[in-house]
Amino acid sequence: MEEIVQSARAPEAVRERQPEVYDAPRVPGKGPIDWMGGWKWGLLAVPILLGAAAVFRVYQGFTALSIGTDSSTPQFFWYYEFLVAVEIGIVGLFTILWWGWIIRSAKRLPEALGMVISRREEVRRIAVFWGLVGATSVNLYIEASFFPNQDGAWHQTLVRDTAFTPSHDPMFYFFFPLGVTLAIGTYLYGRTRLPAVYGAWKGFPWSFFLLIAATVTEVAQVAMNEWGHSVNLGNAGAEEFFSVWFHWPFVLYGWLAGGIFALWGETILRLYQIEKDEEEGVSPVEAATATVTSR
Amino acid sequence: MAIAIPVDRKADELRRLVFKRYRWIDRKWDFMFWFTAAFVVAAAADITRLLFAGDWDFWTDWKDREWWMTITPFATIIIPSALQFIQWRAWRFPTGATYTACCVFVAAWIGRVVQWKFFVNYPMNFVWPATWIPAGILLDFLLLETRSFIVVSVIGAGLWTLAFWVSNYAILAPFLQPVHFMGHTLTVADVQGITYIRAQTPEYLRVIERDSLRTFLQETQYVSLAFGTVLAIFGYWVGQFIGRYLAVWPIGRFLKQI
Repeated sequence: MEEIVQSARAPEAVRERQPEVYDAPRVPGKGPIDWMGGWKWGLLAVPILLGAAAVFRVYQGFTALSIGTDSSTPQFFWYYEFLVAVEIGIVGLFTILWWGWIIRSAKRLPEALGMVISRREEVRRIAVFWGLVGATSVNLYIEASFFPNQDGAWHQTLVRDTAFTPSHDPMFYFFFPLGVTLAIGTYLYGRTRLPAVYGAWKGFPWSFFLLIAATVTEVAQVAMNEWGHSVNLGNAGAEEFFSVWFHWPFVLYGWLAGGIFALWGETILRLYQIEKDEEEGVSPVEAATATVTSR
Repeated sequence: MAIAIPVDRKADELRRLVFKRYRWIDRKWDFMFWFTAAFVVAAAADITRLLFAGDWDFWTDWKDREWWMTITPFATIIIPSALQFIQWRAWRFPTGATYTACCVFVAAWIGRVVQWKFFVNYPMNFVWPATWIPAGILLDFLLLETRSFIVVSVIGAGLWTLAFWVSNYAILAPFLQPVHFMGHTLTVADVQGITYIRAQTPEYLRVIERDSLRTFLQETQYVSLAFGTVLAIFGYWVGQFIGRYLAVWPIGRFLKQI
């Protein structure tokens, strides 16, 4: 029988040999698998990211053809080059706040106080984790389909005279770095909240290694891309081909994102284990002990 | 009179597993997986198409018999192959190629309408994306029938290339009708290329399809289809590598402890 503790304040529990089981307060409609419970951030992340892409697209609709065609003008500086600094600032600030919260709040988790989390709480965390993985997936779509289509349309139509063209700004300097933030942030969440799957003692997961490598090298590839265009290698003078060799690494890094499927696979296997433990009546303390002794 | 029906224990066991009720695993997990996975699948498939064969897919006058038919099947079969492996391995679903084709269909149309039509004002009948859905259905059907990735890679690559050509040729055919334009006989697609100026693409009066392959005349497209098939076999195994070693193999595997 589960011993339920409703709050995380229990330093006494640390001193006890048999750890207590922490379970989150039961709020109707906010359970581990309710849409407004464990799935809340998964549901909200999709419209937030697509909404951000739409805001950029509307901004471009009003300014790209009127101001974004000549990088030597002062208007261009304020509308597009300054925008890069704003984008990087927003992503940077979000990264510091989000990663900081994940790491700092991990020290106040029931596990850090020597408790064991209930199966219900672990299921909720897996649902949140899936929401973060889903957000990373949506971000990859914006990075690799939505804005690349625009980049092709723009560059085959207008002369390229800067690395900060209207089509590059949201893609290279907002959604590319945001992809790194989301992938690493999801790993930090998994490492701190899902120790049975991604605990530090297990080592660094290959799944995250591939996904993080995809997002990091995608950012790094921007440099090679701009260098390639600056010397017009393979681009026959001023002509703009899309299928040129210095674009191909973008594809390779898109393939590395295949690691995202391993994240779903690893956590669904854990979910089945939780269901099995529930069915067999294994107490969370016994299950946690079994996990630790299997190291 | 009672009829004795032999109970297939294995089938019964599987049936009970399918209808098993769990405490926390419900349809929401299915929905969240299939819905959010569609984005990354569309992303991987579209970026592969855009940067390996995009130029031949953007415009009607570039959809030629020589390069479009040769490169595009290779570029487009890679991610469907990976998804075929993932979905077959995980659920025994012969749906990976069709799923990918549907995901990329939606993503490509959003891209072409939002970016190519409403951003830089090209008409949709000039920049429509090619479809892979019929080719995807055939590839999945072949996997269902043969249950062999080797057979699918060899026969399926040919089917994929042929189905890609047939299904898109029906859409392209009206743009290949001859017209008399400024004293020359051109196709409707050529006239589109001349009318809607692409300042940064190669000179717009150039014939896209060139080189000595044109000496094969009507045979050109069949020679291209044959070579496209060979490249698509290679592309299928690139996709298998992605599915096997970048998506499934890493499950539960860890690098050295850090």
